Amino acid sequence: MRSLRPKQEEDRDLAPLADGGLGAGVAQAAQRSPVAISRAQIRRPDRRDRKQRAIANSILVLLGIGFLTPMIWLIDAAFSTHASSALSAPSLTFANFGKTISEGAGGAIGNSLYLGIVSTVIATVVSILAGYALSRHRVPLKAFFLLSVLFLSALPFQLLLIPIYEIYVHLGWLNSPFYTSVALAANSVPFAIWLLKNFIDQVPREFEEAAAIEGAGSVRILWKVVVPLAMPGILVASILTFINAWGAFLLPLVIDTNPADTPAAIGIYSNILADAQIQYGPLAAYAILFSIPVIVLYLVCTRWLHGGFAFAGGVKG
Amino acid sequence: MAKIILEGVSKVFKDKPSPAVDDLNLEVEDGEFLVMVGPSGCGKTTTLRMIAGFEVPTAGVVRIGGKPMNNIWPKDRNLAMVFQNYALFPHMTIAKNLAFGMKARGEPRATIAREIENVAGMLGIESLLGRKPGELSGGERQRVALGRALLRRPEAFLLDEPLSNLDAALRAQMRLELKRIHAQFPVTTVYVTHDQVEAMTMADRIALMSHGRLQQTASPEYIYDHPANAFVASFIGSPKINFFQGALVRDGGGPRVTFLDCSLELTGTAGEAVERLPHPNVTVGFRPEEIRLAPASGGRLPTVKCVVELVEPLGPETILVVRAGEETLVCKVPARSGLTAGDVVTLEFDTSQAKLFDPESGSRLN
Repeated sequence: MRSLRPKQEEDRDLAPLADGGLGAGVAQAAQRSPVAISRAQIRRPDRRDRKQRAIANSILVLLGIGFLTPMIWLIDAAFSTHASSALSAPSLTFANFGKTISEGAGGAIGNSLYLGIVSTVIATVVSILAGYALSRHRVPLKAFFLLSVLFLSALPFQLLLIPIYEIYVHLGWLNSPFYTSVALAANSVPFAIWLLKNFIDQVPREFEEAAAIEGAGSVRILWKVVVPLAMPGILVASILTFINAWGAFLLPLVIDTNPADTPAAIGIYSNILADAQIQYGPLAAYAILFSIPVIVLYLVCTRWLHGGFAFAGGVKG
Repeated sequence: MAKIILEGVSKVFKDKPSPAVDDLNLEVEDGEFLVMVGPSGCGKTTTLRMIAGFEVPTAGVVRIGGKPMNNIWPKDRNLAMVFQNYALFPHMTIAKNLAFGMKARGEPRATIAREIENVAGMLGIESLLGRKPGELSGGERQRVALGRALLRRPEAFLLDEPLSNLDAALRAQMRLELKRIHAQFPVTTVYVTHDQVEAMTMADRIALMSHGRLQQTASPEYIYDHPANAFVASFIGSPKINFFQGALVRDGGGPRVTFLDCSLELTGTAGEAVERLPHPNVTVGFRPEEIRLAPASGGRLPTVKCVVELVEPLGPETILVVRAGEETLVCKVPARSGLTAGDVVTLEFDTSQAKLFDPESGSRLN
């Protein structure tokens, strides 16, 4: 009896495989040939899989460390009293944040928020209107226009820097945060139009027709029906615009030289240059403050975007 | 409520060679329930969309309540439409879906709430008001879409295959409900469907279309008994009408048409019409209920011996698919007749009901 035991145990865990769990008795009969083979077949690729997974995981871990180290350094430095370029034991102080804010980081982040929000609002409104028109209406030379929009959005913005400067000199728009936002919005609009046009294309027309026959005018249809349904696309477009404006460096540097208007991206840079020796602690604190709005925006929007792009219940198929 | 008139309406789409709707003349009476029926691609939905204002006619005039509508936006036509896929706004609750139109038309909030309550009560959807369309079943969505249309208090209802996404049982139930609602609010209704059963059961009048052309407009019973052409005869009725190739024979007496092994005397106008044809061919049509088991004693009607191929008992009656020489034909026999496949039966043709068509043009001859 005792010698049979391991075999029976083997049978027991084979049973579900062999016959969907009919019982050990049936499995015992089946164990001799087909099941034993199928078991071997199942095991072997499993081992190879594990090996491959181990290699893939080690590569990922190495890459992860590469990405993570600077971030750990950043947090470490921001909260350390004597931050340097090397990692050290954090001493958990908010002094760096206090220092960097007192040296103007608060104002610069405020300026960046202004540029980000104003340019996002402008670009989003413009690209919703343009995207809707291009998606729904017959526009002369539409294909040509769309292709040039795509082409323009791929051009490096630096190309336009000098012409924009010239134009701003003529219009007297230099050193104005609002007009700087306009330029930043203009930078994002081509891609946003392209994106939103394609998103609105996906919104079934039936919704608009239903709204129209209910007596809604085109403005109401756009804001009450099309915009909510294209919201995932609109959010993507506005996040991209905001992040672009938030990190903008060259353009504000050229067209707004008023020190009071300095955005955070330039603020960090001048902070590095400010002293003979780099003040790592305040600099890291500045960098963390600088990234908070983007992270918050990202977190808020992922919740929205997780809802995805669903017209379920409205129209089928 | 209003009368809808289509005068010589055509619609040609740029990328299609033949017109989607070709010179359509149609009047929908005030309060009438008109069903436009036809196979897919016959132009019925395009016609409905022209009435709604989503498509502009290439030629002709659409009048609603006497006024030409060609230059009037959909929103100003005061119509209500139920879409095939319901088109409920997925981001709004049912209550907001229902309120959408009234808000757009600037009605006071108290009126909106009261009306929604009324309509929701009538359709039995009160408990759904807080939900979103995605959480509703097909039948519930259908009711909400109807409710939205009712709240419009329109000049006319336009319904585009509203039942096609429902299962069979629910469809039968909604057919009754739609008729009940129409009886309660006798608003001019144009109902588009490809299902001849819906057309027969619901319509005051059927407008049958094919290839962009109106084939016949008549009451369900009239269109069933007096189809204008072979297409109408074959589209309306289930199981389908049987067509046989017939030939005109002149041998001394009056003109006769022979089909299968049968002979059909032609009398009156039918004879004249057949004799006027440039060819001797005639299509003879009998509906399944016009072909019966011949009485054992033998009657005066022409008969044919057939072999039973298929027996479909429906309960109150049984459908037989039988073979007579080369031809297959379908007939209705009393239930529990004890027939099985392979049996030989003698069938008689009720020649008084024979429908004769010109096989080339399809037009009716008698």
